[in-house]
Amino acid sequence: MRISTIAFANLRRRKGKALFLVAGMAIGIGTVVALWSLSGSIKDEIGAQLDRFGANIIILPQANSLALDYGGISVSGVSFDVQQLRDEDARRIFEIPYRKRLSVVAPKLLSAVEVEGRPVLLVGVDFSAELRLKRWWRIAGRKPEGEHELLAGYEAARDLGLIEPAGPPANAVPGSSHHRSEEQPEFTITRDRVRIGGREHRVTGVLSQTAGPEDRMLFGALAHVQALAARPGRLSVIEVSALCKDCPVEDIVAQIRQQLPHAKVSAIQQAVRARTEMVERLTRFSVVVSAVVLAIGALMIFTTMMGSVVERTREIGVLRAIGFRRVHVIQGLILEVAAISIAGGLLGWATGMLAGRAALPYFSDGGAGLEVRSSLALVAVVAGLLVGVLASIYPAIRASRLDPSEAVRHM
Amino acid sequence: MPFVVLENVGKLYREKGAASAARVLSGVNLRIREGEFACLMGPSGSGKSTLLTIVGAMSRPSEGRVLVDGIDVYALPEERRADFRREYLGFVFQQHHLMPYLNALENAMLPLATLRLRAPEKRRRALAVLEKVGLANLASRLPNQLSGGEQGRLAIARAIVNDPPLILADEPTGTLDSKTGAEIMDVFLGLNAQGQTIFMVTHNADNALLAHRTIQIRDGRVADGDGADVPASAV
Repeated sequence: MRISTIAFANLRRRKGKALFLVAGMAIGIGTVVALWSLSGSIKDEIGAQLDRFGANIIILPQANSLALDYGGISVSGVSFDVQQLRDEDARRIFEIPYRKRLSVVAPKLLSAVEVEGRPVLLVGVDFSAELRLKRWWRIAGRKPEGEHELLAGYEAARDLGLIEPAGPPANAVPGSSHHRSEEQPEFTITRDRVRIGGREHRVTGVLSQTAGPEDRMLFGALAHVQALAARPGRLSVIEVSALCKDCPVEDIVAQIRQQLPHAKVSAIQQAVRARTEMVERLTRFSVVVSAVVLAIGALMIFTTMMGSVVERTREIGVLRAIGFRRVHVIQGLILEVAAISIAGGLLGWATGMLAGRAALPYFSDGGAGLEVRSSLALVAVVAGLLVGVLASIYPAIRASRLDPSEAVRHM
Repeated sequence: MPFVVLENVGKLYREKGAASAARVLSGVNLRIREGEFACLMGPSGSGKSTLLTIVGAMSRPSEGRVLVDGIDVYALPEERRADFRREYLGFVFQQHHLMPYLNALENAMLPLATLRLRAPEKRRRALAVLEKVGLANLASRLPNQLSGGEQGRLAIARAIVNDPPLILADEPTGTLDSKTGAEIMDVFLGLNAQGQTIFMVTHNADNALLAHRTIQIRDGRVADGDGADVPASAV
């Protein structure tokens, strides 16, 4: 016979009330577990999507620049000590410790060329990397595959007379293709040949208007553009998309800086901030809802325990009369609640995980999976214990302070 | 040297919001010798139960002192007073107040729950007192499976399991028929014969006649509480 014997025997006697408390606790904890599991999965999914949605790190050649100002008149600046980026730099990025976090490394060479008397920016890219990086690009036609094949931005294509703005299909020349978006036609491709550096190139695709800088560019295979520009192996910029689920992008930036000391490596803060803000919002939402649910659970336990103390005044009085200290009374009541809380926490974890799994398809596009985390079971039990014990402290203290003579009089 | 001494004990009760306090006990002087069986009798509302709870270290008197075995009970801090109740006193209540969810053995063991004794020792002691009150064969029964008399005996077993020097009983036969009441009184007399000091509140004059001494209480005042009329040889 120990105090725990009395506590557990009492729970057995009041099965209905104990089950009610366990169920209440399980619902509260289960809601929190489901919420955290769901928000965790959704956070991961959003993070992964944001990470994939464009570059979050940009690498440029290191250069010192000097702004030129003469008598208050600003003259264009000059750059000196310009370092060079090379093909092997793009490969060396994959040697950083966080290389598994690298989703896309897209090297580029920018070169100004003249096409049919017009200056155009020709960008040499690795098309497979570039198209993985720029998932929002929509190509009318197909991506270039051969050395002499190009992809044209919307404005560049329009200025070079490669396309005509949307019109009836009758305006299209024979053999041309007609590009329509889902809602309305955007443009019609009228011709597909251009001469650059004395050689003919075929424009295999035109980008739908993006309102970005790529609208004014032509894109070709990196090696070909390097040859055209007479800058073999040289790069102007490397864009990197890093998956930063569990790591700050700044760490990856630091590692790339270490790998490429001659380059200027910086995180695109907008992308980082967007991700951080989204994750923080979800976390705040989870915290607030969890706090409300747990507060309701605590209130339920508090009122039940207060009622239980009143109901058990006589019993507590007898225990005090036969020599139980106040601390023994508190111990007995807390043990009861602890047993309920542990059961409720475990049940809550199980139901929360099941509910989370059932609800996930309604909140996710299917990219996220609900990870069954046993560590969350421990958190659920500890949270249940904390809520249960904290909510019972006052009723338990109140019970311990019952005057035994009053309790005996209650008899 | 008396085992229990009450010196000029008084008790005032003030209800919440009441302008003045009601006096329940006034100038009570009482002495109970070791091994004595004393009964306290008086009409309803005379302060019997209040006096019992004061002797039982449960209700602080408004005035006066209570000494048990030379210990000034109300000079003890609250938690020490709980220890004192466990070590020195055994309570038998009118309604018995057994724990309905514990069997007879567990009920008898209840005062041992807070002691650092090994489980077999607790069990041995509880079985011994159940044997003493004739309930050893009903150890596994729940209180509602026992008769009124058996419940009364179980309440006595619980009161003596700690081997306390003093038993306080509040009308232990009050709810029992005369035959069962007599059985309970036999248990008390048997314990007293073995040297147990007993202080019992009762309405029953026949029970009081079985005690060494009957103390009368009326309007919160006790007459002849010092027990000078009881010869030491009678105890």
